[in-house]
Amino acid sequence: MPPQTPSLSNIYTDAINSLTQEVLKEQPRDIIQYCANYFNKQLEIERTRSLYQSTISTAAMASSTFPGRMGTNANPFGSGLDSGSNIGITKVAEEDENDTITSPTTPSFGFKGNSTFGDFGGDGAGGPPSSWKAPSGDGFPAHYGMGRRTSVSAESLNPTASLNENWSPPFHQKTEDQLARLKRSISTNFLFSHLDDEQSNQVLGALVEKPIPAKGIKVITQGDQGDFFYVVEKGIFEVFKNNSGVLQPGADGLGMKVATIESGGSFGELALMYGAPRAATVVSTEASSTLWALDRITFRRILMDSTFQRRRLYESFLEEVPLLFTLDKYERSKVADALDTQKYPAGTTMIKEGDAGEAFYLLESGECEAYKAGKEEPVMYYKKGDYFGELALLNDAPRAASVISKTEVKVATLGKDGFQRLLGPVESIMRRTKYETGVEDIDPLTK
Amino acid sequence: MHKATALLHHHSSSKEVSLEVIEQEKHFVAQFADGSHTQLPVDRLKEDPQNKQLGGSSRGLNVTDFDLLKTLGTGTFARVWLVRLKNPAEEDRDKFFALKVLRKVDVIKLKQVDHVNHERSVLADVAGYPFITTLITSFSDHDSLYMLLDYCPGGEVFTYLRKAKRFDETAARFYAAEIVVILEFLHEREGVAYRDLKPENLLLDADGHIKLVDFGFAKKIGNRETYTLCGTPEYLAPEVIQSKGHTTAVDWWALGILIYEFLTGYPPFWNQNPIEIYKQIVSKPVHFPDSPSISPEAKDIIRQFCTVNRSHRLGNMAGRAESVKAHPFFHGVNWDDVYYRKHRGPIIPPLRHKGDATCFDDYPDDKAHRDAYTHDLQRKWDNHFKDF
Ligand SMILES: Nc1ncnc2c1ncn2[C@@H]1O[C@H](COP(=O)(O)OP(=O)(O)O)[C@@H](O)[C@H]1O
Repeated sequence: MPPQTPSLSNIYTDAINSLTQEVLKEQPRDIIQYCANYFNKQLEIERTRSLYQSTISTAAMASSTFPGRMGTNANPFGSGLDSGSNIGITKVAEEDENDTITSPTTPSFGFKGNSTFGDFGGDGAGGPPSSWKAPSGDGFPAHYGMGRRTSVSAESLNPTASLNENWSPPFHQKTEDQLARLKRSISTNFLFSHLDDEQSNQVLGALVEKPIPAKGIKVITQGDQGDFFYVVEKGIFEVFKNNSGVLQPGADGLGMKVATIESGGSFGELALMYGAPRAATVVSTEASSTLWALDRITFRRILMDSTFQRRRLYESFLEEVPLLFTLDKYERSKVADALDTQKYPAGTTMIKEGDAGEAFYLLESGECEAYKAGKEEPVMYYKKGDYFGELALLNDAPRAASVISKTEVKVATLGKDGFQRLLGPVESIMRRTKYETGVEDIDPLTK
Repeated sequence: MHKATALLHHHSSSKEVSLEVIEQEKHFVAQFADGSHTQLPVDRLKEDPQNKQLGGSSRGLNVTDFDLLKTLGTGTFARVWLVRLKNPAEEDRDKFFALKVLRKVDVIKLKQVDHVNHERSVLADVAGYPFITTLITSFSDHDSLYMLLDYCPGGEVFTYLRKAKRFDETAARFYAAEIVVILEFLHEREGVAYRDLKPENLLLDADGHIKLVDFGFAKKIGNRETYTLCGTPEYLAPEVIQSKGHTTAVDWWALGILIYEFLTGYPPFWNQNPIEIYKQIVSKPVHFPDSPSISPEAKDIIRQFCTVNRSHRLGNMAGRAESVKAHPFFHGVNWDDVYYRKHRGPIIPPLRHKGDATCFDDYPDDKAHRDAYTHDLQRKWDNHFKDF
C-alpha cells in the first residue's frame, strides 16, 4: 500500500483494481465470498499496519519472517480490531545462523551421573519438517531444539486388581551382599528414589541375573528399541555412540567410545519409562561379566499395582469415617490422593494429650492405643482400618487423649491445612454434615 | 446419520450402502466443515441436536470420497490431510476438512490400540465444543482408521511461537485463558484428562481462537487415577515420570510449562537427553531468566502449576478451575467473554480463502516402505477397531 495519502477516490480505484487482478488470477468459484474475504483481509492488514506504526516502531513483525509461507502483504500477527491493543508478539530478534536444529525428544540414553551423555543427538526420525534454527544467546538453552516435538507413550497397563487377575512380580533370590549393592546402585536414581519399602523390595527381587559369558557382546544396540534397564554386577562395559543414531555395520560401526560403566553402575533407564530407541551401544569388555536386568512392564506393574491397591484401601477407609460421610466421591478421592504414608516404631507417641490437633490418621497396619492423663488403662484400642484425630480437621480444640503405637505402625495422615486446601473452608463442609449422631462419642480424643 | 445406527459397524469390503446414503452423508458432513461456533452455554451443548449427530461412525463414507490435497501435519502415529469432498453437491463445494489417518499396523506396533479408541470416544463425546476440533465422523478400511475433523486453517500456535520467538503476556494470557476454559470443561464436565498439552497441539481458527487437537492420549478417568505413561517429554508431570498414578492434575502442570514456553520461547526443563529433562522435572524448581522479564503474577502462576506435589498444585485444589481463574495473572479477564469468543485472538492467521493451507508446514511424503496389515493381524485385531 502506498505511503502517500491519496485522495479517497484513489484509494477506491486502487482497491478495486487490485481486487480485479486477484479475481482474475484466482478465478474463485464463489465470487461474492471471495470479494468479502479479500476486503476483510485488506482491512485487517491496513489496520494492523497503522497500529504497528503507532505503537511499536521496531517493525515488530516483518512479514518477511514468514518467508514464502505468508502472502507478501500479509502480516501474520495482525491484531484483531476489537482487541486493538493486544499486540501479542514481542520483537523478533535476529536468529543465529550457526546452530542447526536438534530435536530434544529424540531418543536418548540414561547413564548414571555421566555428563558425557548429555549430548545425544537423535536420528531425527519423525523430526520436524521445518528448519528452525535455535537462536543462541538471549537465554535460550544451549543446543535448544526448535523443532516440533513428538509424543512418547508406554504400552497401556491396567492394574492387576482391576482386571481380576493374579499377578505377582517375579522373584529372584539374591545374597545379602548382592541386595545391599543393588540397593546402593539404584537408591539415588530418580526413578527409584521415591519408592516405599515394599515397592523397593519387589523391584530388588525382580531384578534378574544376566550372565555375559564373553568379551565383545553387545548388551544393547544403538537404534534398537529398549525394554530393559541394567545394573552392572561384575565386569566393565563400554559405551559407544555412532553419530548416525544407529549402529552401523563394519569395523567403525560402533562409533565413538563415550563412557565406561563399572560394577555398581547402571544404564538404559529410559527403557523403564517407555520403549525408545537406544541412543548408544553397550559392549562387554571381559569374559564372565554379570548384569542385573529389569524390564519396563515388570517395573511399572509393581509400582502401579501397589499404588492402585493403596488408593483403593484409603478410599474404603475414608468411607468409614462419619465425619467425611458428606464428601462426594471426587472429594474423597482428593483426600485419598493427598494422604501421606508414615511409619512409626512401637511405643511412639503420635498424638499428645493437650496439644493442638493438627492431623488426622488412618491406621494402615499395626495397633495403637489411646491414653488419658490419670488413667492407667488405655481408653481406646485401634487396629487396621481404624482412624483417629479426625476432629482436628474441624477445630483447634486440644487433643483430649494421647495415642501411642503398640506395634510398629503404618499410618496415612492428612493435616488440617491439607484438608482445607483440597476441600475448601471447613465450615462449609460442617454445614453439610448432620452429625448429631455425636462424633464425640466415637472419638475419645475430644473428651 | 445418527449415533445409534452409526454404532453398527461396516467394513469397506463388506460395505453395501446405497449411493443415496453416501450422498446424504456427504451432505451431512459438509455442514460441519467450519467447526462449531456455538453460542450455547457449556451446560447446554449436549442439547444441540446437531451436536448429537456428530462423532458417529459413518455408514458409507470412504477415503475415496475425498480428495487428499496436502499433508497438514504428522504426529507420532498419524498423518493429517487437508481434504475436500469429491463430487460434492453444488452448495458443498468449498468445504474443506482435516482427515486424520492412522494405519492399523502402526497403531498395533506402537501399542496405541487403547489410545486410538479413547481418542475416538472422547472426541465423539465432546464434539460441538467450540475450542476442540470437531470429530464429524469416522470410518475405516482394510488398512487404516480415519477421523474426519473440521479443518482448522490457522496452523499451530507452535509455528507462530517459534517465529515470534516468544509472546508477550497479553497474548500468553489470551491463549492460557482459553485453555483454562477447555480444561475446566474436560476435567469437570467430562472427567477427561487430556495429557498432551503443548503448542504443537493448539491450532488457530480463522479468528485466532484456539482449537485443541490430538486427543490421542485423552482419557475419561472420572475421579480415578490412571497409569500409562504418555505425553511429550518437556511437558510430563513428575507423577507421570515416577509412575505414581496420575490424574487430571497433569494438565495443570503442563499449562504451567506452556505459559513459561509462551513467555520465554523455550520450556523450563530442557536438555538434549530426555533422561536429564526428567531428572530436572522431578527435582528442580522452575528457574526464570533475567531477560525477558516476566511479571510476578506470571511467575507465580507458573510456579503454582509446576508444583511437584499435586495436592498443592493450582487447579487441583479446592475450587478447581475456578481457583485458576481467580489467580492474579488472569486479573481483568471476563470469563464469559472468553467462552463466547467475544474478542479476536492476538494473532489472526493470514488466510486468503477457505482451503488455504499456507499456515502449515510442508511434510515429506510417506516413507515408501510400509508394513502390511496382514490377514493374521486382521483376524487378531480388527475387532479392536470396530468403533471406527
Ligand atoms: N483439525 C485439524 N485441522 C488442521 N490441522 C490439523 C487438524 N488436526 C490435526 N492437524 C495437524 O496435524 C498435526 C498432527 O495431528 P495429531 O492429531 O496431533 O496427530 P498425532 O496423534 O499423530 O500426533 C497437528 O499438530 C496439526 O498440525
